[in-house]
Amino acid sequence: MNNPETVGFSALVIILLLVLFYGGTFFVSTKIGQKNENADGYMTAGNKIGFGISAASMTATWIWASSMYASASSGYTYGISGPIHYGLWGALMILFIYPFGKRIRKVAPKAHTLAEVMHARHGRSSQLMLAGSNVVGSVISLMSNFIAGGVLISMLSPFNFIQGVLAVAGGVLLYTLWSGFRASVLTDFMQVMAMLGAVAIIVPFIFFAAGFPAAFETGAGNLTAQQSNFFSSDAFLNQGAPYIAAVLAYAIGNQTIAQRLFAVREDLIKPTFITATIGYGAMVIGVGMIGVLALYLGFEPTGGDQNNIIPEMAMSYLPGILLALFFVMIIGALSSTADSDLAALSSIMMADVYGQNVAGKTKANPKTMLLVGRMTMIVATVIAVCLASLQLNILDLLVFVGALWGALVFPVLASFYWKKVTNKAFTTAVLVALLVFIPVRFELIPMTGFTAVIIELLAILGIGIVLGLMSFGFFGLRVALIVGTVATLVAAPFCFGFLRDYTTLSASLVAYSVSTLICYFMSFRSKMDFDFSVIAERAGDFDPIEEIVASATKGSARSNDSNNSERNE
Amino acid sequence: MLALTIYVLAWPVIVAGVAFFIARAFISEAREAKRNGDPLI
Repeated sequence: MNNPETVGFSALVIILLLVLFYGGTFFVSTKIGQKNENADGYMTAGNKIGFGISAASMTATWIWASSMYASASSGYTYGISGPIHYGLWGALMILFIYPFGKRIRKVAPKAHTLAEVMHARHGRSSQLMLAGSNVVGSVISLMSNFIAGGVLISMLSPFNFIQGVLAVAGGVLLYTLWSGFRASVLTDFMQVMAMLGAVAIIVPFIFFAAGFPAAFETGAGNLTAQQSNFFSSDAFLNQGAPYIAAVLAYAIGNQTIAQRLFAVREDLIKPTFITATIGYGAMVIGVGMIGVLALYLGFEPTGGDQNNIIPEMAMSYLPGILLALFFVMIIGALSSTADSDLAALSSIMMADVYGQNVAGKTKANPKTMLLVGRMTMIVATVIAVCLASLQLNILDLLVFVGALWGALVFPVLASFYWKKVTNKAFTTAVLVALLVFIPVRFELIPMTGFTAVIIELLAILGIGIVLGLMSFGFFGLRVALIVGTVATLVAAPFCFGFLRDYTTLSASLVAYSVSTLICYFMSFRSKMDFDFSVIAERAGDFDPIEEIVASATKGSARSNDSNNSERNE
Repeated sequence: MLALTIYVLAWPVIVAGVAFFIARAFISEAREAKRNGDPLI
């Protein structure tokens, strides 16, 4: 089909929209800004954020521009079930990690980063391994969001890609720099409202403007049998299954999620995660439906680039005012994740690098920590802008980081429940898992003969481990072992001779299984009998108690009383 | 055709519901913080 005529914006309109968006967020952030910010507030906002802000922030952070583009791309490629295989699994992962979140928070109620907890649990090598993976992941995420902003601005306006990247990077840094995480979560609320509101309006508008529901009939011929099938095996094996394996790792390894886990009031962890699950799922699947509509219409994105589906569908079917709303939706999505990445990076440098390894926990100066945090944000922004200008293949980088986190999932989780896990077991498990993952993922070894059988065996074990871990959080060890064993046995007959053709999936599963096996076999005979209560002492506030008290208003006590009475009720 | 229409349009409806739920909680917390003289964050 010939794509319809598209519309865009003049330079003046884009500048006005950017000034309104970033000016508005900056203005709101000044409302909570304090002349003397404290270091703990800068990292976790005092560990007592309410439900409305935390649910909004968790949703906003989990949704980034790439997730919308990828969901639409999945709908366009795999048909009607495509967006489900992107959005549903991502959403369920938020739900599956909440029981782990409760345990982590119970063990380390005042921590700032997961890596900081690993330092308290194991020592430096485990901490730096997790912190290092967090830094790489957040810089890549930051870069990817800047790229998405640059592409969108260059597509919708006369400005070029680099100018777009600079505008987004400058805007995000402007409102995040002074108040850090506190500014990030407050502006997340505004951004998520804009995003959710935009989806609620834009998707139905495009639906009717493009001639649906009649186009379901006229365009049915554009779909293959698999694309028309809601239970498409293609969609599950190519999109859903690898994603299930990847996002569990993302949820555990990503500091932006951990930071919100440590920030929300402890009794609100469950409703926050459940609301974020529904919000993320509905939003991302809803946007993915634009890809399904494009498929029915026979829409062809420019240059065959599926990242163009959403913007070009919007430019084709939305009037100017709704196109502006669409622009705000995408800018909101990428900015909310980018500011979370900046806050995550600053926390890691403040708590893990300066606080734990340079100055030491007891000698760390909160004022120096704040300086470290702000400098980190500036340096990270500059690095991400430079990398964005190179327009690297972010998919490969993300897959690599995802696998790195996959190798960390079992050692990290086991460290919160099992007293026997040692630093040596943690470190060795992660390193060996990576050494096995890399040649499998990048097909450096031939997936034939005995090698393929071994890799498939490890991948099948990985299926059992992923499902076992998910069950463990909710139902405990016994159910987890049953689920893991049954899943492995059921999957085995179908997967031997089959998984070798899906290296992305196999490699992710291998990362899980190798790290689990090594961590388990190196730990189960160990004499370590770790006392989890020491973590709370080792990973606590950096600010002196008098400063924390001074920064709180006199009404805090009343608020705590009210919280306690709510809990009692 | 009806099933597909519902399938596509159900998501924006759920999204609107979640937005309302989060906004209501935020407003309630902001009011409580103001009443108690506490900062919102």
